[in-house]
Amino acid sequence: MAITEKTPLELGPGDTARYAERPLGVFTRPQGGRGWRDWLSTVDHKRIGILYGASAMFFFLVGGVEALLIRLQLAAPEGSVLSADVYNQVYTMHGVTMVFLFIMPLAAAFANYFIPLQIGARDVAFPRLNALSYWIWLSGAIFLNTSWIVGGGGADCGWFCYSTNSGVAFSPSHGVDFYAIGLQILGIASLVSSINLIVTCLNMRAPGMTLMRMPVLTWMLLITQFLLLFALPVITVALFLLMFDRLFDAQFFNPDAGADPLLWQHLFWIFGHPEVYIIILPAFGVVSEIIPTFSRKPLFGYEFMVFSGIAIGFMGWGVWAHHMFVSGIGPISVAAFSLSTMFIAVPTGVKVLNWLATMWAGKLRFTVAMKFAVATVAMFTIGGLSGVTHSVAPADTQQTDTYYIVAHFHYVIFGGGVLGLFAGLYFWWPKVWGHFLNERLGNWNFWIMLVGFNLTFGPMHILGLQGMSRRIDTYARGYGFEFWNMAATVGSLLLAVSVMVFIWNVVKSKRDAPHLPPPGPDPWDARSLEWSIPSPVPTHNFDTVPVVHSRDEWWHTKYAEDDDGRVVRVATVEEAAQTGEATGVHLPSPSFWPLAVAVGLPLIGYGLIFNLWLALIGALVTIGSLYSWALEPVDDPDAAHDHHEEDQEAQEADDDGDEP
Amino acid sequence: MSAEAVVADQGHAADDHGHDEHATTTGLSHTKLAMWVFLGSECLLFGGLISTYLLYKTRGNGRTLPTDVFDIPFTSVSSFVLLMSSLTMVLALSAVSRGEDDAGRTWLLATALLGGVFIGGQVYEFTSFVREGVAFTTNPASSAFFTLTGFHGVHVSLGIVMLMSLYVASVKGKLTQRNAETVEIVGLYWHFVDIVWIFIFTVIYLIPAD
Amino acid sequence: MRKVADVRTPALARAVAWALMLLGAAVVTGCASDAELDTFAPKGPIARELHTWGVLPVFWIAAVVFVGITIAMVWLIWRHRVRSYEGDDEWPAQTHGHVPLEVGWTVGFLVTMAGVAVIMVLSLPTVDATEVNTVDVIVDDHSVEWEPTVVVVGNQWWWEFRYYFSDQVDLADLRAHGDAKTLPPADIVTSGQMMIPIGEEIELIITSRDVIHSFWIPALNGKRDAVPNRFSPWKIEASEPGFYFGQCTEFCGLSHSRMRMQVVALSPADFQSWVDDTTQDAVEPTDPDALAGLEVFSGICTSCHVIEGVNDDVFESADQASGAAPNLTHFANRSTFAGGIFNIYNADGSLNRVQLEAWLRNPGDLKANYTVPGEQYRGMPDLDLSEQQIDDLVAYLSGLGKRPAGWIIDATQVE
Repeated sequence: MAITEKTPLELGPGDTARYAERPLGVFTRPQGGRGWRDWLSTVDHKRIGILYGASAMFFFLVGGVEALLIRLQLAAPEGSVLSADVYNQVYTMHGVTMVFLFIMPLAAAFANYFIPLQIGARDVAFPRLNALSYWIWLSGAIFLNTSWIVGGGGADCGWFCYSTNSGVAFSPSHGVDFYAIGLQILGIASLVSSINLIVTCLNMRAPGMTLMRMPVLTWMLLITQFLLLFALPVITVALFLLMFDRLFDAQFFNPDAGADPLLWQHLFWIFGHPEVYIIILPAFGVVSEIIPTFSRKPLFGYEFMVFSGIAIGFMGWGVWAHHMFVSGIGPISVAAFSLSTMFIAVPTGVKVLNWLATMWAGKLRFTVAMKFAVATVAMFTIGGLSGVTHSVAPADTQQTDTYYIVAHFHYVIFGGGVLGLFAGLYFWWPKVWGHFLNERLGNWNFWIMLVGFNLTFGPMHILGLQGMSRRIDTYARGYGFEFWNMAATVGSLLLAVSVMVFIWNVVKSKRDAPHLPPPGPDPWDARSLEWSIPSPVPTHNFDTVPVVHSRDEWWHTKYAEDDDGRVVRVATVEEAAQTGEATGVHLPSPSFWPLAVAVGLPLIGYGLIFNLWLALIGALVTIGSLYSWALEPVDDPDAAHDHHEEDQEAQEADDDGDEP
Repeated sequence: MSAEAVVADQGHAADDHGHDEHATTTGLSHTKLAMWVFLGSECLLFGGLISTYLLYKTRGNGRTLPTDVFDIPFTSVSSFVLLMSSLTMVLALSAVSRGEDDAGRTWLLATALLGGVFIGGQVYEFTSFVREGVAFTTNPASSAFFTLTGFHGVHVSLGIVMLMSLYVASVKGKLTQRNAETVEIVGLYWHFVDIVWIFIFTVIYLIPAD
Repeated sequence: MRKVADVRTPALARAVAWALMLLGAAVVTGCASDAELDTFAPKGPIARELHTWGVLPVFWIAAVVFVGITIAMVWLIWRHRVRSYEGDDEWPAQTHGHVPLEVGWTVGFLVTMAGVAVIMVLSLPTVDATEVNTVDVIVDDHSVEWEPTVVVVGNQWWWEFRYYFSDQVDLADLRAHGDAKTLPPADIVTSGQMMIPIGEEIELIITSRDVIHSFWIPALNGKRDAVPNRFSPWKIEASEPGFYFGQCTEFCGLSHSRMRMQVVALSPADFQSWVDDTTQDAVEPTDPDALAGLEVFSGICTSCHVIEGVNDDVFESADQASGAAPNLTHFANRSTFAGGIFNIYNADGSLNRVQLEAWLRNPGDLKANYTVPGEQYRGMPDLDLSEQQIDDLVAYLSGLGKRPAGWIIDATQVE
């Protein structure tokens, strides 16, 4: 439907108004403003970033409640908080929620908000597609969770949902159908978003912003988008096969007909392992911004950091079968994947040492953001090293599918990913909201979270090595599991407290903000372009698009090094920062159509499961909205603006229309 | 370091020329770049589907395999038709970019028609396979076959929809030399779908099952 | 720059954090356990070699790297921390990197990982290669040369173990073309407990009838998945007679947590006598209660269970999703039932009648199952037995086979 997108360019303003005012006669063109309705039609990358972030935090609470239920059930032997059936649903939905509905969208929030700011752009390449990504993601997230209500319970097959346990015979509720279709919807969202952000990174950099001058956060997010781009189609295939099996009696996973259950494992993990890096690389990027800022030194070995990120991105494709060492894939494959897994530790190790070298001889200011960032490095190191221990395939035969693995990936994903993104929240909060998060509460948040995290997941190493299987809903007395399970449960309660402290911090900081001095554009004396503009960021981002002369452009605007290598200030923040007062900057107009397109998709999902007529309605909603979208000009002729700043937005095309 | 020097040069160059509001960093338009990126993703989609078929192509569960009922001459003809549509697609783009709107419309329509013939051929092929005992649910091989070729068919059909939309736009006078790039981008998609078919035809139809 | 000098970590929080970390470190290092599934307590030669060469070296390497990085980090924090931000506008030297240093630690990591790789390559054969010696076993008064192999079949939620002593069943062929649902008749079919002779490497051929399970006896070797439509090789060996616990480790549905198994390693003589007992058909009951129990069994239980001499060995149950239920021919010869989770005998050697009766009364109360009428069962359904029927069944089942040796009954009691 790329075609109709372009047509407005052909027409004079008068002509445009003739057919574009009310596409299909449904919506009047929204004009933008500050009311709640404007959030539904916004195409501003910053607002979309905030929407992603807020929704992600909501699902963090949902997934957190599921986690607490798991821990309560396992606190003591023969737990009876949940039945086996409910337990299986809860732990499956905990994993799915935390991965797809919390950490990925939280990373997407950072990507949406900061990629344009860090490369000196006014928005992403396709602002309406960006809105579409969010609304599709949200519709997928809601769809997935409605299976609790209308699907007879959540999926009960574990987040990797191995065949044949995912078949109708072994999982007869609709939970797995919701899983298969819900993840496809979420996948469309991530795919559209990844295309959008890749084009943004490649095509919308400010003058002089070469690839090797991009901030490391943007780099890591760009690599993440490439991983998403190539990983999502693979799980899409797997999910289609599963859906066809369950809903239309295909034979992909029916061993009685000669099918091989390992097909699912291969397809899933070809997606699933890059997914690990999709989760962790954004946090690496965040840490790579925070540690230099608070060490008051540039990042040590920028090139090594970038290339090790790229190396991780590439090597991440060659290690998937290390999830399958005990599946019976044959000794040659096991050896090969064992080797590739070991060597992916090299670029990761390089990153850790480069972070430490950045801190070396620095002047470390331990703000809460810095504490979180350093804790990220420390906790990730533990997770990375426990990963090395089971890269040795024979050792893995003792460790896989035990709590040792649960400990390992929580140290990577929570210790690396979540702590890293919390560092980012504390760091960029003043940029986004124009006021700080309270540092005192932040310290409480940090220490309780760090202790709670270690108390929850640390003992799981021991439990795993003592032979406690993963995904068991109870355990018997006498196997030595009692003490550490209780410890882990206490830890999980501490984690819950720390999240409550964070929420209280958000509320209190907002309430206190009017009585405190505003943070100004650059409260941390930081390095990248987003700190050269006011906080909160004005709608148009940059008054004038910056011209970039070096890495850490903003720092070099403020400081120079004299002949002896001493740092001298050449401009104050007040002198150098943009005022955000520019007027008449043309911005893409808001639109309701992305939301309308997204509404159709879950209808298709429900329809496939319950009644195909509903799917037809959903398809009509989606296709109709896509055409209306195409007929709606990017530039609202009635919107007030002086001149066209960037007409490439007019070329916005909805490639998602090509999706099967 | 020379790399640094190059980087500095580029920054300097950008300075000298001031900033061109209409240029993109790579010189490609956003839309075209997005289509390339999207097609990269599509490669993995078809890669997954083709791998699935290759794994399952001999797993018949004692029933007829797709390979047993292939009609190679028939599929060769419809493959040829699809290949020809790539030619007409090129001609359409060339006509539109020269400003020959009538010729452009003719070639767009021809491309869509050839695509339609291919889809018709696929529908015929599917129904005759089902008559010969190879249905979607017969065995893993047949499920994989129908899924793979079905996905490809859906892609071709979406391409036809896009071509027909271009055609309508052209009739309404909204598709001219100035936005010939739109035709080029739809063409990229169309050629990609054709190339995928060459793959599928070779790997699925021509290489026999053992 | 915002002044954040007054914002320090609350002293209480810091104290608590340090205390907990020290406690954690102390407990981790001093952690010793007698857990039955402990992976750090190998008991057979394979597991011991795996532990020594496959597990410990990489743990040591990881520990050294961890300690190194942690010390470096703590030192950096301590050394370069700015204690008060007030009036501190000094900038340290702006180091952008140091290529030789970075190449150095890249190479350092490469070398370390190459070391780990060597360990992996060397230890891989430990778990994978098999060299099976034959064992002389007397079956039906004929001495056969048995290549000690056990076919292990996962089911929801119990394990079946099949012994083929004669070479009439070609196990290589079974592995290539077999179907777990129609396996050839075996000399011994048992469940929950696998008996093996000590001092022999036992080859396992692992498959499944329904979903993926994973067979794991931590004291004897790592684990291997039981995948439907696949027959995966594995091996175990015990050097001492003993009772080795296991647990299904691949999530397999409702009662995944209640799918356990044990390996009982016997001296050659004990193993021979076990073979003598279990290759026989089931004991025919004489006692009237047991006879009544047989009648109940024949009327109700035979739709899923097999007792050799009562109903056919080659048997597929349409009621069960897996098509099978445990073979009960020598029920009383084992020390656990219901997927290796309940003890058949009390510590004093008496029959665990309470548990058996509770199980027969309503299995779903004790082990989650799926028994929707009209659909295939997964797990044992509630049979609505009368108390009389339950008593009769217990009388019958408890007479099937010899009671296991006292040390086995002792070892079974884990609590």
